[in-house]
Amino acid sequence: MVRSVLRAKGRDGPLPLAGPDPAPNLAPRRVRVSETDNEGGDRGQNKATARILAVLSEFASDTSGFGVTELSNQLGMTKNMVYRALTTLVEQGYLVRDPSHQRYQLGFRVLELQNENAIEPDFRELCAPYVRKVFQLTGESVSLMVRAGDYAVFIDGVETRRPGTYRSQIGGLRPLHSGASGRVMLAFSSDQDISDYVARRQPMRLAPDGELTPERLWSEIAGIRKLGYARMVHPGALPMLATAFPIWDMDNGLHGVLSSGAPLERFASEIDRLMPSILAIVDELCHRTRLYPADTQQWEMQ
Amino acid sequence: MGNAVVRAFNTSASHVFDVLRFVCACPEPLGVTEISRQLSLPASTVFRALITLEDADYIRRFQNTPKFELATTPHLLNRALFSRFELHRASRPHLKTLAQATGETVSLWARLGWYALRIGGAFGSRDIYHRARLGETRLLHDGAAASVILAGLSRAETASYRAFVDRNFSLAQPSSGWTKQQDDLDRIETRGFASGPLAMAPGFEAVAVPVRDETGRPVASIMVDGPVLRSDAPELEPGVLRARDALEALIAHDPPAFRSPFAHIGADEILIRIPAREGADPAG
Repeated sequence: MVRSVLRAKGRDGPLPLAGPDPAPNLAPRRVRVSETDNEGGDRGQNKATARILAVLSEFASDTSGFGVTELSNQLGMTKNMVYRALTTLVEQGYLVRDPSHQRYQLGFRVLELQNENAIEPDFRELCAPYVRKVFQLTGESVSLMVRAGDYAVFIDGVETRRPGTYRSQIGGLRPLHSGASGRVMLAFSSDQDISDYVARRQPMRLAPDGELTPERLWSEIAGIRKLGYARMVHPGALPMLATAFPIWDMDNGLHGVLSSGAPLERFASEIDRLMPSILAIVDELCHRTRLYPADTQQWEMQ
Repeated sequence: MGNAVVRAFNTSASHVFDVLRFVCACPEPLGVTEISRQLSLPASTVFRALITLEDADYIRRFQNTPKFELATTPHLLNRALFSRFELHRASRPHLKTLAQATGETVSLWARLGWYALRIGGAFGSRDIYHRARLGETRLLHDGAAASVILAGLSRAETASYRAFVDRNFSLAQPSSGWTKQQDDLDRIETRGFASGPLAMAPGFEAVAVPVRDETGRPVASIMVDGPVLRSDAPELEPGVLRARDALEALIAHDPPAFRSPFAHIGADEILIRIPAREGADPAG
């Protein structure tokens, strides 16, 4: 994962500043990244073929296959449109019907869509459109962090221009116990790993002058494991509300954590309304990141 | 929807996929004019295809130039295809162990119709190691990893394979001819493994062993891309056989789970356009 951090530094330098979001789509159905990335409108694209590509893109995940109705619901397209797209993709060999002919699966011809000089996307690249999507939805700062030993390392994100926000700096380190992202990383580690961390880090200091007891950390970890993500308040002169979501790899381990946070007063009234859509975005991202082992496994061929 | 409309629908999609495959096949990013010239398509058609592909995240602009390269989605589609092979996931710890034991890069190739597809691999630990990528696809007589699968097929299947190659890949026929190639396959089957010389390590060879299903048919192969076999004393590294045995035990334990995701499609129907390697042979 160090590779990702270095690339992130080299490519982007300081974090981009971005304005508040346009009117967000709050429907809790699966949110297509391309829908919002292309809000500029029709640039002369072929709409019928765009639909075919959208259908094929659904198969770029850890799914075992889809039926017509399932795709129709996910893409918001009519069954007729989906069926026509599927028929074309089967004719072209990019999809095949399963032995029961009830479902469609990826076909062997996607093997022609490779370039031997191309570099596989890393974790940061896979997440980038989803980081933007969460930002567009919430209008608040979004961070992408990975674990490095006892620390969470900030590797990417978008910082809001709204007043009062977390400071984010690529390469910045935070002890695992001190923030929502780090606590998610601990929560989905083994109990032994957590105990070892607690033993190494005693006392677990919290900025500016607090301390986290092991009992409270374990209690919070239990809550995160139960909920599947973290939602915590950082007390202080400006209380902050942070949410953090695990991003899974193909071994059910963590690639990293995506988080979004803002002043409690501003975010608390919004977060319940936004949460279904955020979870849908994170779910779609995880369908993609589950195709890859965590980046730290440098021994593995990509 | 009338037939004319259906045809237009398919032709348009066909052009877009032609452009996409062309971008995939090019070693360097290309612009509209070059693609238009190479594919003999109007520039406006190519432009619309590129815009459509860019908006769908199949291609992207290369460093803010008007040239295009592959974007994320094709990578994801290929990863998703590999994940359809249960061996892709199940072989990982065994390939890692073998790579650590030999210090050399290890690959797992699965049979896909009349092709072998690299679906798994672990890099060697030495300072100089073989750098390979997943997704490489070869005809079954092309190289040790593929040939060791072909060698395990029946004579009737081998004949069908040759007819398939003659029909679709005439340039890929072995330079020494099919008869000599059959002799090579017979030798591989007798030895139980295939090997190939290494230009960088004279006197040593890389090896490939077949992985068979519960009926004894070869469904995959394990290849060690490094000098692990002495040419003058061909004795297999025990770790290779241990990895093979481990994978065959997994397959025998749950045959349906490890069946090829394309087992229900006839081998002759699986046609993948791959760059032909003229005169490929089992030792290549």
